[in-house]
Amino acid sequence: MLQFLAQATPPETNFWQQAPGTTGLILGVVGAFIIGMLLFFGLSTIPTQFRRYIIVGFTFLAGLVFVLQYLWPRPINADFEKELPRNAVEGFGAWLGVAIDPVAKTANILAAFLLGLGIFSLMRVHINKIRRRAQDWGFSLILIVSSVIMAIFGFWDWNMRQFNDPEALLTSQENWKFANYVNDALFDGMYQQMDAAMFSMIAFFILSAAYRAFRIRSVEATVMMASALILMLNLMGALTFMWSGWINGLVESTGNQFLTNFDLTVVAGWLRANMQIPAIRAIEFGVGLGALAMGLRLWLGLEKGGVSS
Amino acid sequence: MNFLQGSQYLDTGWFGVFSTLLVVFFILYNIARAKKTGGNLFIRRIAGLNAIDDAIGRATEMGRPILMVPGIGDLDAVSVQAVNIFAQVTKTAAQFATPIKLCCARATVYAVAQEVIRDVYSQQGMSDRYSIDSVQYISDQQFAFAAGVSGIILREKVAAAFLLGAFYAESLIFAETCNSIGAIQVAGSTQSTQTPFFIAACDYVLIGDEFYAASAYLTREPVLVGSLLGQDWAKILMTAYVMLGFLIMSAERLQPLAVQRIDEGGVSRMEPYEGEAKRKTASDTMVHRLFNPLITEEMNTIEREPNPDYEGEEEAANAGGGA
Repeated sequence: MLQFLAQATPPETNFWQQAPGTTGLILGVVGAFIIGMLLFFGLSTIPTQFRRYIIVGFTFLAGLVFVLQYLWPRPINADFEKELPRNAVEGFGAWLGVAIDPVAKTANILAAFLLGLGIFSLMRVHINKIRRRAQDWGFSLILIVSSVIMAIFGFWDWNMRQFNDPEALLTSQENWKFANYVNDALFDGMYQQMDAAMFSMIAFFILSAAYRAFRIRSVEATVMMASALILMLNLMGALTFMWSGWINGLVESTGNQFLTNFDLTVVAGWLRANMQIPAIRAIEFGVGLGALAMGLRLWLGLEKGGVSS
Repeated sequence: MNFLQGSQYLDTGWFGVFSTLLVVFFILYNIARAKKTGGNLFIRRIAGLNAIDDAIGRATEMGRPILMVPGIGDLDAVSVQAVNIFAQVTKTAAQFATPIKLCCARATVYAVAQEVIRDVYSQQGMSDRYSIDSVQYISDQQFAFAAGVSGIILREKVAAAFLLGAFYAESLIFAETCNSIGAIQVAGSTQSTQTPFFIAACDYVLIGDEFYAASAYLTREPVLVGSLLGQDWAKILMTAYVMLGFLIMSAERLQPLAVQRIDEGGVSRMEPYEGEAKRKTASDTMVHRLFNPLITEEMNTIEREPNPDYEGEEEAANAGGGA
């Protein structure tokens, strides 16, 4: 039993170890899909008052695996292909190590199902808009047409590279076919450029937000503006060079080493190390504790209302 | 403690795990305590959360929708908390028949948000006011999502925007687009790198764990209030750790080095130091040993029975025999 738990001798017909492309794997995938769909429709017919118990139960079981993985002693320097676990504690620890991967993958499978739901929502909203000829319905039409074209050519290109190009000829642009050119034009030529354009807009938004934030309205805003000014000036190479030269001159003429503390780089470094980093760490402590409390409440089904209902 | 002989305890010691369990105990104990008192405990005023009703009121007066964005993170504690806050916002919005728009970047978050928002409307007895367009999946690509939401902000001319969750570079795009049409913004992110952007651009900001305190503040549910109190106890504990750690480490490092730590081949030991007089280094202190325990040869060498079914080496020997 322990050997089985520790996967010391993995059975030859282990689902997780099927070779790609074998009938066993395909049957396993199809079987899992059918069982998944049956479960999906079965669960959706359950009365609402019982759903909460099912959700809480599933959440607890899934969370328990990860909690145990964190707390349960992990076998030290073990290779259970060659050795046997010493005791039940070690056997269970080894089993947990193996179980984590399939459990984590279950979340990916669920996410894949939900992605379909997301696309369905997107299509429903925009098709309705087109059907009703709602305001700006033309944008909805563009979205649907471009989604469909991108999906077709993306899949076509992927299929060619994955299955019809054993000698990897398509890595060179000279051997490209129609689908590869179209996919490249759509993805690199259009999507990536629009993505970069959207990202570059942030620079202008930073400017307008900074203008509003750094107006001297209160003591706090003044302190923030002064700190920001020092940090920004510190990034200007010519200015820091001139400032350091001036400070060094003062130190030499007066012999007062204390003045080196007023070097722009030193002041900016002090602000970062003694103001910014401690504040961020304090915030992160709070966020971490909040996330732990939230996770604990969800895991133990203690929350009422909102997501838990 | 033979039971605790796990590789994770050899790597980082028992102190981190013990502290986590202590924090868990604080939270659960205070939840139990709050359940007894009915959650009647003091929570300080949080400006960003007080502004929620004002923002909904403004949207109602203007007859424009309320926008809610739970960030671009996957379904985790952050997005779940964001959806919980949005459920409270929706509850008030439903009473005033104010339209809402909840835009999701992740299909998993979308599925959960759709269920929650629909439930809120039906619990309020206003199922007819729920529209399937209220919760929308936009895109899981960061800037495609940013472009989509910005378009909705501008086209729908939202009166109030709630930007709560895990945000990255798109945070400022949303905040500034909302500002350009005069929408009131309540924002909060668990990303410490994005909080300054929200502070600069938004009207109200939930900083750090205020984000997690929101549902306790809005609902006064005993479980949530107790959990919040447990978090405060944990913060006191963490502050005590920092102070004690700082004092003990400083005191230790001022002492002359008498016994030093030697780490060799995965095994560590303390040996008397006989060289030139010097002070202790960080690795010679007790505080360091608390998180980096001494590992003896005995701890590292575990005798196990060989696996009788193992044939790997034999096969390898056979395969290599002809060479």
